[in-house]
Order: sequence, then structure tokens, then C-alpha cells
Amino acid sequence: MVNTLAPETAGQADRGIRYAGPTAAGHRGRARRRQTAVAYLFLAPTLLFFAVFLFLPLGFALLLSMSRWTGFDLGDIEPVGVDNFAGLFADGSTFLTPVLTNTLLYALGTVALALTGSVLVATCIDKLRFQGLWRTLYFLPIVTTVVAVGNVWKYMYEPGGLVNGVLNALGIGSVAFLQDPGTALPSVVVVQAWASVGTAILVLTAGLKSIPGSYYEAAALDGAGPVTVFLRITLPLLRPSLLFVCVTQFLTGLQSFALIIVMTKGGPGDATAVAALEMYRQAFSYGDWGIASAAAFVLFLVVLVVTLLQLLLFRRKGEDA
Amino acid sequence: MTPARRPGAAGGLSRRHFALALPSALLASGCAAPHRGTGRPGDPIELTLLSHYASGELKQALQGPVDEWNATHDRVKVRTKAVEFTDLLTTFMVRQAAGQGADILHPYCLWNGQLVRAGVLRPAPPEHAEEIGRGYGEAAVRAASVGGEVYGYPTEVQTYALYYNKRLLRAAGLDGPPGTWRELEEAARRTARRDRYGNTLVQGFGLSTYDDSTTVGQTLALLNSAGGRFVSADGRSTAIDSAAGRAVFGLEHRLVVTGASAPGVNVYKAFPSGQVAMVISAGWWTGSLKELMGAGYRDVGVAPVPVPEADGRRATLSTGFMLGVNAASEHPREAWEFLRWLNTEKVGVQGAGRGAAATRMSALQVSVGSLTGRADDMRTLLSGGGDPNLRPFLEALAYAVPEPNVPGAQQAKSLLRKNIEALWTGQRSVDEALRTTRRQVDQEVSRSW
Repeated sequence: MVNTLAPETAGQADRGIRYAGPTAAGHRGRARRRQTAVAYLFLAPTLLFFAVFLFLPLGFALLLSMSRWTGFDLGDIEPVGVDNFAGLFADGSTFLTPVLTNTLLYALGTVALALTGSVLVATCIDKLRFQGLWRTLYFLPIVTTVVAVGNVWKYMYEPGGLVNGVLNALGIGSVAFLQDPGTALPSVVVVQAWASVGTAILVLTAGLKSIPGSYYEAAALDGAGPVTVFLRITLPLLRPSLLFVCVTQFLTGLQSFALIIVMTKGGPGDATAVAALEMYRQAFSYGDWGIASAAAFVLFLVVLVVTLLQLLLFRRKGEDA
Repeated sequence: MTPARRPGAAGGLSRRHFALALPSALLASGCAAPHRGTGRPGDPIELTLLSHYASGELKQALQGPVDEWNATHDRVKVRTKAVEFTDLLTTFMVRQAAGQGADILHPYCLWNGQLVRAGVLRPAPPEHAEEIGRGYGEAAVRAASVGGEVYGYPTEVQTYALYYNKRLLRAAGLDGPPGTWRELEEAARRTARRDRYGNTLVQGFGLSTYDDSTTVGQTLALLNSAGGRFVSADGRSTAIDSAAGRAVFGLEHRLVVTGASAPGVNVYKAFPSGQVAMVISAGWWTGSLKELMGAGYRDVGVAPVPVPEADGRRATLSTGFMLGVNAASEHPREAWEFLRWLNTEKVGVQGAGRGAAATRMSALQVSVGSLTGRADDMRTLLSGGGDPNLRPFLEALAYAVPEPNVPGAQQAKSLLRKNIEALWTGQRSVDEALRTTRRQVDQEVSRSW
């Protein structure tokens, strides 16, 4: 059997040159086409997977975003142009404010808290003994389901819960964390940050390990203090890890859904309503798949812009972080 | 004589053919519609019924009559499928889009407009529509109708009334439940208690942000009792921005501001624990309370929803479910026949006196502590004593206003809930909340038509 994917040997190549003519060139062309066909055949399962699970849904979502569909009968899809996008930003629509605003604040808050916390904790862990143990402890929330995390924190935030119990013991009045629109979103942000800090710590401790010790030795010889060392050596050299954490946390924050639905269901009022929750409701509760798909594409654009901005901000002197 | 086998063939099928055939067969079996009979005259038919009676006594209660039907009917059999209520609408959608919709659907009446507009529900044939109009109360028939056309047999009907804790009211020096809004406010203030840190010990009147049905149900029951309506007569806009709407929002706002209500408290936990003095809720709750409270249930009383003035006309909210036939069903005649048998044919009722008869559905609903829209059945079934707390819910069938079921009703309800919560938490004033509700609901409801 001829191995059509095997590279041509030197002898075969020579013969090709020596006897180059219309027949030989045609033969080579056919062989190359056969090679290409075989290559695509091998790629076919993967391409089929992407076609079925990525391109097909994406195309369908694009079609729905410019249609009206109640979700019951595929024959009822009715094209409406850009009406759904206009509806999202029309007077009376809650999508821009508070839904999209909440989504951005939620993601921003999560990134700020998780990044700050994880940098501090990772730096501390890097100087401790039993680093594996500490990393495991901080990673534990990641292996817990979001539903469990959300419910436990919900009970802790309750008027008679642990957090208010501590406040009361300190002589401070109770706070309606999840019932007050002013505190509901920050309260959920804290939980999201707490739940995602473990991954960030793992990435950052790996980043810290990759910083050569010679920089710190040189800094010590020059008499640099710990704050200077942290700001001038650790943070700049952690840039690639920080970028990774920042981008992934932001993406998670922008697409967050489960924690919100468990803890507040988007309330009180619209105080914690976020884009993913709104999409779910539009599609599965209200049967407005057009609006849901349009909202999904708007969120996709937001995610894209935010990610590009982050990449731009972290870029320095042509060096991609 | 055994045919000679070719080398490499397995049972007459080469490995290559087998490898190709297996996935195709699996794919075909996965995508194929379930067997529901051939449809030829005289051949057996299997009807599927999709409901939310997914567990516990509800599932058993429905399975009883279905088993009876299957045992007494040779040709047409019924198979029940059930999902949790929270997954019911989604399941309707997904199965319908995949061409796997059940023959008989059991939707929440709030969704009827949405389902009718999407062409999922089949209108009831004239003889069934006439039977439904004759046998059920007005609220139940209106809940099962869209645009004046009947789409199914009403099953459980829930009316809203005032639950109160007799012990807490007595402790506050009150002899009985409030009959007017003024009395309600007074009773709520007198029964509410907080500790020095502001934690609620007893909520006078339980306003709850637990879910759409609780938050909106309480408000719409009060709105109806004030003579107001949520949706206009033509169903294309909201009518809440009215004097009645202002009065209800004002009442709730005052209750929260004065500390008589604490909307953050989950009333479904707090009331059985004696931490809520009064709350408006639906009749199904009596069954749950009995189970949860045990002997403590004797402290629970139920009264009609208070009216704004002493001489006011009573009204409250009613919600419900119905059994309808899928527009895509291949056996609509048989499906309607089964529904008629289940919902209108009277059978003897045990423990309700000699000769007492009620429909299978009514008996089923009462057995799980619920009601149907058939007042005659309810009177029969509850005549043998039973829980006196069910009486106000039964009486309310005569004057209850059905929950609006226009296209977009689910979204309108969610938007109303958000604005009620914004009012309760001080994000919006009474007027702002009414204006925002009107603007948002009008925009979304108009889109749904």
C-alpha cells in the first residue's frame, strides 16, 4: 500500500526533476490532491465536531438574533432584521441599564477582588512552608459546586446568619445583604471572587516560581525594601500570569449565571440582574428567542472588546504578555 | 442447508458494513419518534400526557385515574410523563421543536397566551367547550381561554386568601382577622416585632420576595380586592397605573416603611415558625402547612383578602392549570375523549356521604389538598368535614379574578415583580414604580402580540 502522506525521498524528487513533463507533473498534482484529501479525511471528525457543536449553533443563533421565534416550531421563525437589537436598547428596556451595567460591574468587581486577593495570598504562600497544603486549601472552593457555594453564602448573609451574627456581636446592627439593592450586587461579587480565588492563586504561585532568584539577590544587594521589590520586580515579572488571570476572571464574570440565580435570582428588583440570566429568561421563560440571541451577540461583542482592551493594556514594548 | 459464509462476514454482514450500520441504527433509534400506534383505524393508540405532577402524592394521584382508564379501555392507552414545574415550559418548548410534543399538555394558565400564539394548543371542540363553560366557575373558564376561545379543561384552581396566626393576633390584643385594609395595617403594626439589632422577630404582614408567584400573587390579590386589574381588557397593555394600583403600592410601601413588613424574610419558612402574623397566599399552602406545623396548625386561620373599605365588594386573584390537547397530536379526538372522561364524568366518592359523586379530577385535586373550578364537586368533596381553612378558598371561586394569560403574561409578571421589589426596597417611589411598570410591561406585552 502506498503511503500517500510520507514525504518524498531525495531520489523521488530527483526523478521528478529529471523526467519533468506533462505526465509527471500531472501525476504529482494528483498525488498532492490525494494527500490533501486524506489529510482532510483525518481532520473530518474534528471538523464535524466543530461544525455540529460550534458553527451550526452559532449560525442558528445569528439567524435567531434577526428573527422572531417562540421556541416551539422551527417553521415559525420570522425574520425581523435588526428589530431585536433595537428592542434591547429601546425606551423601557432594561437591558442596557441595569442588566449590562450590572454585568460589567459584577465582572469588574470580581476581577479586582480576586486579583488583589490572589496576588496577596500567592505572595504569602510563596514565602511559607507546606506550600502545597496552602494551595490545596485555597483551591477547595473550586471543587465545590456553585449551587452549594451560593446556598451556604446565602444562609450566611441572612438577617440571622453568621455574618450578621458577627456584626451583632460587635454591636453593629444587621445588614440586609441580599435584600438591599445597595448591597446585593457587592455581596454576590464577594462570593464570586472568593470562589474563584483558588485558580488565580495556582496560576500566580506558578508565575512567582518562574521569577529568577538572582533579581531578588541583586535587589537585596542594592538595599531595596520589600515594597520596592514587590512593586519593581515581582509585579512586572508576574505580568503574563496576571494577564491570564485577569482575562479568564473577566470572562467568567461577564458570563456568570449560576451563582446569581441561586443567591438572588437577579433581585431585589433588577439589582443583580446580569446578561446571562436575562438571556435565559428571555428564551426559556418568555419564549423570546430572538431577543435572547441578540442579547447573546451583544454580550459577545462586550466580551471581545473587553478582552482586546486587556491585551492592549498589558502589552509592553512589542512584547506580548 | 446453511448458506456458505464468506470469509470475514459476520452473520452475513461484513465488519465494514456492521461498523457503518451500527452508528446509523443508533442515530435512527435516538431520533425516531416513540411508538404511538400506527394511526390506522382500529389499531391501538398511545396518548402521552406531560405534566408537572412529577413526584410524591401528586404523581400517585394522577396515576390512579390513568391506570383506571388504561384498565377499562382496550384501544386507547395513556402514558404519563412528568417533569418538575420549573422545567415544564422549557420541556414543552424543546419537545415541541423536536417534534416530540406530548398529545396532552398540562400548562400553567399564565402561559396559555404564549402557547396559543405559538400554535401549540388546539382549541377545544365545540361540544367540549360547551361542557367546560357549563361545568366550571367563570374564573376557571377564563383562565383556560384565550381571546374568548376555550383551550382546555381547568384542573387545579388556586384562589388567594389571608392566612393568619391566631396566637400572634391574640397576643397583640386582636380578636380576629382584619376585614379592611385599615385593620390590616393596624394588625400588622401591632404584631410586628424586631430585636435591638433590627432583626425581624415577627413580621406583621408577610410581604415576600421569594418568587414571582408569591410577590406578584400577593399584590394582585390586593389589587383585585381594590377593584383594579393588572392587564387592560384587550390584553395589550397594563392597567395597574390606576387609583387601585396606587392604593396597593401605597399600602405595601407603608407596611415596609413602618417596619410591619420585612420583604427579605422567606414567608414559607417564617409563617410555620410563628414569625409571620398574616400573609396572603394560595389554597395549596394549607396542605403543606398541615404537614410542616403538625399540632401547631390549629393556630392557623384563613380569611378572605381584606378590602379597602368595609362595604367594598370582595375580589381576589385566582391562578390555575388546565389540560389541553397539542395541536400537533395525531389523535386529538381520543385525547379530548380521555379529558372528558377524566374531568366531567362523575364517579362515587368515598367518605363524602351516600350517593355523593364528583369528577375524577376533582377527587384527585382534593386528595392532595387542592381545589378545582367545579364548585359543585368542591362542595360535595368538602361536605364530609375536612379542613375548614379550605372554605374561604372555595368561596373565593365565586368572585376571584383570573391571572391574566395574554401573550407575554409571564414577562409582564416578572417585570411587575421587579418593580414591586424596587418599591419595597426603596429604589422607587409609588409613582415611579407604577410608571416604570406601565412603560416596561406595555413595551414587552405589545412585542408579544
